[in-house]
Amino acid sequence: MRYDLIVIGMGLSGLMSAKTAVDAGAKVLVVGKGTGGLCLFTSGIDVMGALPAGAAMGEALPRWIERHPDHPYAKMGWEGVREALEAFAELFPPPYGFAPEGEGNCLLPTGAGTTRPTYLVPATMRSACRLEKERTLLVGFQGFRDFYAEYAAAGLKCRGENLAIPEIAGRNNSATSLARLLEDLPFREQVAAEIVRRLRGETHVGFPALLGFRNPMEILKDLEDRTGTAIFEIPILPPSVPGMRIFRRFRQHLIARGATFLLGSPVSRILRNGPSCTAVEILHPPVTQVYEADRFVLATGRFMGGGLCADEETMREPLLGLPLSASLPREHWFERSFLEGREHAIHGVGVVTDGDLRPLDGAGRPYAANLWIAGTLLAHQRWIDEKSREGIEIATGYRAARKALAS
Amino acid sequence: MNREESKIVNPDVCIRCATCMGICPVARVTASFPGPKQAGPGAERFRKPGDPSVDEWIHLCIGCRLCDTVCSSCVNVSEMNLLAKAKYRDEHGMPLRDWMFAHNSFVEKLAGRVPRLSNAVLRNPLVRRLLDRLLKIDLRRPLPVYEATTFRQWFRTHTGRGGKPIGYFYGCYANTHERDVAIAAVQVLEAAGYEVVIPRQECCGLPALGQGDVGEARRMAERNVPWLLAAVRSGLEIVFTSTSCGHMLKYEYSRFLEIPDADEVARHLHELFDYLRDLQGKGQFDVRFRSRPLRAAYFAPCHLRSLQIGFPSLDILRRIPELQIEMVDADCCGMGGLYGFKKEKAPIADAIGADLTKAVERLNVEMVLTECEGCRMQIQRLTGLRTLHPIQIVRDALEPGAGN
Amino acid sequence: MHLKTEVIIIGGGSTGTGIARDLALREIPSILLEKGDFTSGASGRNHGLLHSGARYVVSDREAARECITENRILKAIAPHCIEATGGFFVSLPEDSLYWRDQFIRSCMDVGIEAEPLQRDDVLQRDPAINPDLVAAVRVPDGAVDPFLLVIENARDAERNGAKCLTHVEVTELLAAGGRIRGVMARDTITGEPHDIEAPFVVNATGAWADHILKLAGLHLGLILSKGSMLITNRRLCRHVINRCRPPGDGDIIVPNETVSILGTTSVTIDDIGRIEVTPPEVSRLIEAASHLIPAVKTTRFIRAYAGVRPLFQFADAADGRAVSREFVLVDHGARDGLSGLITITGGKLITYRLMAEKVCDLLCGKMGVRVDCKTAVTPLPGAERPFDLSGRLKEFGDVPLQGRGETLCDCELIGRGEIEGILRQGRLRNLQDILHRTRLAKGTCQGAFCVYRLLGVLQEQGLTGGGEPHEILKGFLEERWKGVRPILGGLSLREEELIESIYRGLFNL
Repeated sequence: MRYDLIVIGMGLSGLMSAKTAVDAGAKVLVVGKGTGGLCLFTSGIDVMGALPAGAAMGEALPRWIERHPDHPYAKMGWEGVREALEAFAELFPPPYGFAPEGEGNCLLPTGAGTTRPTYLVPATMRSACRLEKERTLLVGFQGFRDFYAEYAAAGLKCRGENLAIPEIAGRNNSATSLARLLEDLPFREQVAAEIVRRLRGETHVGFPALLGFRNPMEILKDLEDRTGTAIFEIPILPPSVPGMRIFRRFRQHLIARGATFLLGSPVSRILRNGPSCTAVEILHPPVTQVYEADRFVLATGRFMGGGLCADEETMREPLLGLPLSASLPREHWFERSFLEGREHAIHGVGVVTDGDLRPLDGAGRPYAANLWIAGTLLAHQRWIDEKSREGIEIATGYRAARKALAS
Repeated sequence: MNREESKIVNPDVCIRCATCMGICPVARVTASFPGPKQAGPGAERFRKPGDPSVDEWIHLCIGCRLCDTVCSSCVNVSEMNLLAKAKYRDEHGMPLRDWMFAHNSFVEKLAGRVPRLSNAVLRNPLVRRLLDRLLKIDLRRPLPVYEATTFRQWFRTHTGRGGKPIGYFYGCYANTHERDVAIAAVQVLEAAGYEVVIPRQECCGLPALGQGDVGEARRMAERNVPWLLAAVRSGLEIVFTSTSCGHMLKYEYSRFLEIPDADEVARHLHELFDYLRDLQGKGQFDVRFRSRPLRAAYFAPCHLRSLQIGFPSLDILRRIPELQIEMVDADCCGMGGLYGFKKEKAPIADAIGADLTKAVERLNVEMVLTECEGCRMQIQRLTGLRTLHPIQIVRDALEPGAGN
Repeated sequence: MHLKTEVIIIGGGSTGTGIARDLALREIPSILLEKGDFTSGASGRNHGLLHSGARYVVSDREAARECITENRILKAIAPHCIEATGGFFVSLPEDSLYWRDQFIRSCMDVGIEAEPLQRDDVLQRDPAINPDLVAAVRVPDGAVDPFLLVIENARDAERNGAKCLTHVEVTELLAAGGRIRGVMARDTITGEPHDIEAPFVVNATGAWADHILKLAGLHLGLILSKGSMLITNRRLCRHVINRCRPPGDGDIIVPNETVSILGTTSVTIDDIGRIEVTPPEVSRLIEAASHLIPAVKTTRFIRAYAGVRPLFQFADAADGRAVSREFVLVDHGARDGLSGLITITGGKLITYRLMAEKVCDLLCGKMGVRVDCKTAVTPLPGAERPFDLSGRLKEFGDVPLQGRGETLCDCELIGRGEIEGILRQGRLRNLQDILHRTRLAKGTCQGAFCVYRLLGVLQEQGLTGGGEPHEILKGFLEERWKGVRPILGGLSLREEELIESIYRGLFNL
């Protein structure tokens, strides 16, 4: 069986590529080992957190792009980014929708008691925009070790308490087990009662981000009704339940539209014939499976995803050996300080592409006739400090698929 | 299998990201199981060779392998867990019930010879109460019913239509309890122009492996592989309908048990729908389907996910006119094969099953399709809906006289 | 605060706390001052090796004899700080068997149990060893937990009348008429000054000996030698593995709880300042260790660290009292005309007790007191924490966690209960103080999740000091970085991407 498009990588950029292609009617195979960073550190949809506070995205981002002409966003411009974001958001109709709060970034509280800028805010985090400290109570759970309400509250200068629910206190509860329990009415009633007991006039209550998988707004509204407060989710240590919601939605959509969804396979080789890629080889010992396609999108991420690897001295792109934007000596990979000063140079290294997201060879020509790159594997972006990961993944995933199908 | 020599065990690659914690169905319903991050690569750092096993909680792992699929570091969590279970069993011995489960095929063969008696005995409330009390086999779970005649007996008197020969591994459960699944497989293959051949085969050994009895699993594998190898070397491709058996034969025989020549067999073993989908892609599965105006849910079993072939039955089912298929939004049914029969596992199997039930109920369907017999048992019990192997619907949808 | 005592001990490493305990058991009051936390110096940055002495037996029999004696004593008095793994001296094909014979004979002469073993026997006992080995010799090496050892000494000292003040730095040595009178000191966290009177001051500051002596215008001329070590993610071998040849870099691999420690190097440095493990050291250590354990080439490393050894070379005996070529005891009364000041430096972790005994004997002599040393025969009391690595896996299970509390550190299986126990002991002034007393954050991810959780617990208990709460977190991440940066390559890059994604990305620190 031959596919119109094979997407290598199951992170947000791969999923977005695959979605874009199936929506255009293409026969798609999406393959990956792991769920990308999606299920680990997703809060909102970041586009460019590094803009000045209060700036309107539609004005400030184009200016930022002009100053960073090598950045992936420069390949499609703000218009291209916006179009891709819309294509993403249409997967999430109300009540669990993603939308900006106002014109630009919104500062959302985190589990560490800091705030972070993000652009598209999921409905469950909306009440956290414009936090009023004196009117906010953060709640965690005794027996849940990935969020400590008092600690987060100390940073955010509001109040925080860990709820004592007998059923779960004193045990090692996980985010998913709590998310599941919250889908259950009796448990929610207990939680709500506990919150009410602890309120001292606060109007807003912050929860760790685990208000269920499938119907978070239903759970949120129920808790709001029972407590008489506005409720919001706070992103916490991995795994990320909000990220899992996004993953499951993409998976559902792709399978329903006939995509072949291979979660769990590492691609061991991309086969080529002259200027074109012809197939992917998936080593699933003892068997090797080969899938052929006309077009390929490589969205394998960075080190965690396996898009880049390194030995003690050199970095490389392991599947095709694509040239990277820089050949940094090991001692320049990381700065002496972890947090202060310059960003670590290693993060800017990646695969260089043309405006259509085709990777370039050493001479600046497209490496293959039918290969496109999406996601954080791309060079000249520093998503960690820009706070731009989801935006890059969505915009380049969208564009790569459209360019591929147009070819 | 020596843990130190095993290529399987490599906790060094784990980066502790906890993605696996997000997917584990057992960790989702109970805090007693520390979850794959801890049970696998986490615990490996503490397991010193020669030390006794104390990780009794490892038996809570249901063996769904979903952790492996989401791990971007390629940690073989489920195999680490399996090795730990096996070591624990080696040292602590096995409860009688688990020993019986490990030697399931033997029990099945005997009981299958006297189906009416077996059914009567196993339905008897007193017997069930005794099994529950003494062996801790969950009272509430219906035990599979023995068919009056087995699939093999049916096949012995069946004549095909000729055509290209294809091998079929039917699996002992279909043979004694759900022969229509196997019959449907034969009928569909024949409609596709094949002559079905049954190579010599016995129980794949998964029940033994699942109980941690690696020795018994190996013995059974060592019997099956030469027979299947002979079939393969005679030019046969072999298809299977039970995704659990298929995963065992195709992957565990070579990866975990390292049976010689198992990899050669693996290359010629195919999940039936995967094979049909392939044929379809080459234009060689042109059978005509009648209209089946039904709303059905499809549930992807864990072993199917581990086969890494996607969900090929959907590709075939979608060809049946007016058949509405909805995919069940749940990752695991909670049965875990024989796991779900164990009384002490009942709360976990029930809780995971409850989530599955809600997911099915939301779809408002008349029946549920799934390739795994364990899932069928669980779904049937919890939803009351008719549950079938997708091949049965496909067979039902064949135009009379349909064929290439 | 104004205090008065008999002996002031400067330095809270193994030597200093050993002296405090020895004095306490002789009923002599002392006050120990440490500018950081216990084990801030070499005691907290060594190989964790309980020498049998075999390593020195060919070149320095006296040193070896001291080692094996102390080895036995420590096993008797501090079994809970020691894992008696045994050790192998492995001969590879290129190693001189003549030297090996010398080695075995010397061990026997000195009284170190040395059991020659054949290749197959060795591989059976420790399959990780290079299969090309020719033979090995089994000796009574072991692994020691230096943090626990030092802290137990301090605790026992206090129980018997000593006073230990951490985070207190000596700022002046007070002297009058050629006699030491006491010290001025300062709390490094609060700035509170302390004025402590005592007729005797022991400078047990290890590599910082000259820094203290400078306060009195004195100088010993220590040579500072940096030794670097690498920590692997997993325990690679069951025994201490040595190379059976004249000692060199990177030829020892020591098991330590869940990991193995490779070491060490010897690089002369000028200044204690910020000591770093350098890339050439990392390469050298990996190269050397891989000859002994091939898996080192592909194994994952989680941290690198370096400690500074003070080495003292003196030309003639008139320079002070050299009790052994291994460590140096200097009576500044005899040497420099400042009586009552003693410096003890050099030595190794394993001989701390002996060094302390010599210091205390000297002090007693000067005080005109005759009390015997009891440290060799008095066991260190301490929570009996039987060394049972695999047994820790029992702790999950279908029972509520009760005393154990929820698991804070997933990698090292540390529960909240253990942390709360540490917090109850009090006197912990900063996060590192807590981290010295637990294995939390010592595992694969080096604190990625558990330090956040620890801070959550500290906040709940009101122990975060009221400053910006994420300043402590940031401080931890920077400290962690020092140990992680040298080994970033290969597999560990993926771990770092995770950490940065969480802390710089998600938490926006």
